[in-house]
Amino acid sequence: MIGGLAWVSGVLALLSFLLVCALAGRRVALAHAERRRLSTEERLRPLALALVEGESVELPRFGAYESRALARVLARYARQVSGTALAHIGGFFEDRGHIAREVAQLESRRAWRRASAAHALGGMASTSATPALLQALGDSDRDVAAAAARSLGHLGALDAVEPLVYALVDGRLPRAVSAQALLSIGPDAVPRLRGLLADAPVEVAAFAVDLIGLLGEASDSPQLVELLRDTSAEVRAHAARALGRLAAQDASDELRRALEDRIPFVRVNAAHALGAIRDAFAAPALARQARGDEFDPAEAAARALARVSPGVLVAVAAEPGSGPHLAQAVDLLHVQT
Amino acid sequence: MTGNGQPLILIADDDPDILALVAFRLERAGYEVVQARNGEEAIQVALARRPDLAVIDVMMPRVDGYEATRQLRQHEETSRMPIILLTARVQEEDIARGFDAGADDYVKKPFSPQELGSRVQAVLGRR
Amino acid sequence: MRIFEGALVLFSLISFGYFVALNAVYLTFTAIAWRGVTYYRRAREFSGAEEAFASPLTPPVSILLPAFNEEAGIVESVRSLLALRYPELEVIVVNDGSTDATLRRLTEAFDLVPVRKASRAGLPTALVQGSYASRKHHDLWVIDKENGGKADALNAGINAARYPYFCALDADAMLEPDALLRVAKPILDDPDLVVATGGIVRIANGCRIEHGQVVDVGLPRSPLATLQVVEYLRAFLVGRMGWSRAGALLIISGAFGLFQRSVVAAAGGYSTTTVGEDVELVVRLHRYLRERGEDYRIQFIPDPVAWTEVPEDIRSLSRQRRRWQRGLVEALWRHKRVTLNPRFGVFGLVAVPSFFLLEIAGPTIELVGYPAVIAGSALGYLSLTFLLAFAVLAVLVGAVLSVSALALEEFNFRRYQRGREAARLVVMALAENLGYRQLLTAWRVLGLVDVARRRRGWGEMRRRGLGYAPARGESRGR
Repeated sequence: MIGGLAWVSGVLALLSFLLVCALAGRRVALAHAERRRLSTEERLRPLALALVEGESVELPRFGAYESRALARVLARYARQVSGTALAHIGGFFEDRGHIAREVAQLESRRAWRRASAAHALGGMASTSATPALLQALGDSDRDVAAAAARSLGHLGALDAVEPLVYALVDGRLPRAVSAQALLSIGPDAVPRLRGLLADAPVEVAAFAVDLIGLLGEASDSPQLVELLRDTSAEVRAHAARALGRLAAQDASDELRRALEDRIPFVRVNAAHALGAIRDAFAAPALARQARGDEFDPAEAAARALARVSPGVLVAVAAEPGSGPHLAQAVDLLHVQT
Repeated sequence: MTGNGQPLILIADDDPDILALVAFRLERAGYEVVQARNGEEAIQVALARRPDLAVIDVMMPRVDGYEATRQLRQHEETSRMPIILLTARVQEEDIARGFDAGADDYVKKPFSPQELGSRVQAVLGRR
Repeated sequence: MRIFEGALVLFSLISFGYFVALNAVYLTFTAIAWRGVTYYRRAREFSGAEEAFASPLTPPVSILLPAFNEEAGIVESVRSLLALRYPELEVIVVNDGSTDATLRRLTEAFDLVPVRKASRAGLPTALVQGSYASRKHHDLWVIDKENGGKADALNAGINAARYPYFCALDADAMLEPDALLRVAKPILDDPDLVVATGGIVRIANGCRIEHGQVVDVGLPRSPLATLQVVEYLRAFLVGRMGWSRAGALLIISGAFGLFQRSVVAAAGGYSTTTVGEDVELVVRLHRYLRERGEDYRIQFIPDPVAWTEVPEDIRSLSRQRRRWQRGLVEALWRHKRVTLNPRFGVFGLVAVPSFFLLEIAGPTIELVGYPAVIAGSALGYLSLTFLLAFAVLAVLVGAVLSVSALALEEFNFRRYQRGREAARLVVMALAENLGYRQLLTAWRVLGLVDVARRRRGWGEMRRRGLGYAPARGESRGR
């Protein structure tokens, strides 16, 4: 018995000793690697900047380490710049065979390899990687799919719009990741998103509406105005919010009508939108909602009223029984000028 | 203006990559450049060096770009210095917020260094 | 005499059994946590948390900061909260009937003016006397109310909050600039599922602090505080991470947690009748959501950091730990009905029973176990050699567990940059098992005694709220 205990104790002692050694060794190695990485990147930065700016530079003969460091710096820039600078970066990676190498890695059997390849391709600014990334969007590993989504966003891949929206709604991708990818595809995605409004499931349509509000322009409003009468409250609410974001003046009639909606959440968004549009005709209806509605719609209406017509706000707040929301909005009027 | 007669430009961003890129582009275009890593530092440097123009990132720790712009507008020395905001957020309200704070122009991230260069030139020319 | 002997032997057996079970559980947890943290760190590379900062889709958050007699640090705290990297937030300071100059300091620093603020009637609270807005920061509110305790102050904050999520903080907790964005990440990714998240609490003693921000991470001089550094790493990176991965995280620190407002309000807000309002809320959320058959997640995220000061003297530490134990027991006892009820899934079948065993029965067994085993060997039932061998074994198991928690920190986060301090942490991790853990056990038992005395109507019932942070830095860190 005691022999057994001693034996186990010995193993444990050895184990903790090894753990401590591993910790110490790793710390030293990491500190060294980090210093080397930073100094190499700093040394290569002028070269990277010249490449980004498209100046013709003679690339010195590099070892693999320097080559990777340069690729890292360039990949960081690829996420920050647009236009010809981005094209220069893409050209560099294409010419030096990086793209082909990473695309091949997308077939790796290890998930983290596939994920880092998908991630790297987003920083290489070359659309030739798009088909492979679209395929990686369906990867069984959530990280791989997320990395592919972000990269497709960075590359502005229009073909990724529909798959991204569907993946987002199904929860196959982290919502923030796919939403951000769609936003970085930018206004060019709007026609594709409009295509999703007609017969897609409610959640898909609602989200597409949201994105149109963020990426579109006032000319997209007629279709959204129609959706203010959709059977789904979610779609109605998102349409109201989108119209506010687009500052769609011609939607104000319908938005005022949306203040009568059955669902509080829709009324909140309609009030907010009317505030954003600064629709003076909405003042009486907003005042009514601010006085008598539930907390959230009343609060939104009072805030909107402050934007639409401070004069009306002051007048109605002075009436008896005007309630807490109008009082707050009036007080804030004085504080926040 | 600096001693050599080149316009002096302040760049404020918390990302060293961007600082280097913008400085590179503007120096190539013949400007002199001073850098700041956050909003507080940007205000200090602006008051000390009195640059001819400032390029300020909106998203910075401690004092963000909007707040830095607002404060710069309140100091007499920098109240008329042109300010260009670099911003990743491009909603109507964000842009309005920048102009409300007193910015003269904004450049959206990701940005084209060429375009930033010509905006700088245009804003300086306007004055 | 025979009965006594029998009891002694039986008890020794129970103690050994408990010892083996406990360490098996800890080892399993360490393994789960390793997987979890490593997975998290890898995913972070591809998840683009940074981008959320610029995204218009990131939901706005109301930060609730209850303050009772915080005149010394409140202005700095609020400043650093207003400067957090997060796209849209409001800060609501709830002045819980402070008797010092908390409100005056705030008024002067932020140019506060009285405002008639509309609040929900949702949760009952002590009387709100007034609300203030700032001329300098449009996102700052101060609610001035009569003293009612921390839970009551948080409820008033929930009533006043405008945004769909709220972040509950201790007045002396210092968030890192990215902490809110990181703790919100699971919510951004799965808004339909995640209802609450908590970050890690780390120890600020020994760090250099400027303007309410930790600017240089360091270890405290005091050995007692350094032991707590190791203990917190073990508790958060192994314990919380493990439970979070198992889908049954029962504790989100009162010092730093993010919650969906509507769910918390529907479940009744914070309870004002326990000292463990933070644990009680999370346990109640599990119960509430499970009872309604909802699919949900409550998650721990290992890298958004709130720094807090911990007690450096043994008396305050003992008081703090007894209070924590009391809070935990009160919370579990209140929801004891979920225990072993299959309807409550992992939460009822595993988590709550484990807490009863490990946190309540465990310390008692352990504390009685030491004298029993010693008595046993003194009376010749156990050989002294065996006892010594066993003691060495116990300490070594503890050492492996403590060092692997450190390794978890070191491999993934590396907050302690200086080699000398890292070495000191290793020494403390080894030393932790010689005395400090036993001390913790003793305080847990004393906490149990406190509960028992209170239940029978003995013991002091200090008016609640009179110092819900009696010594600065008694944030819940376990």
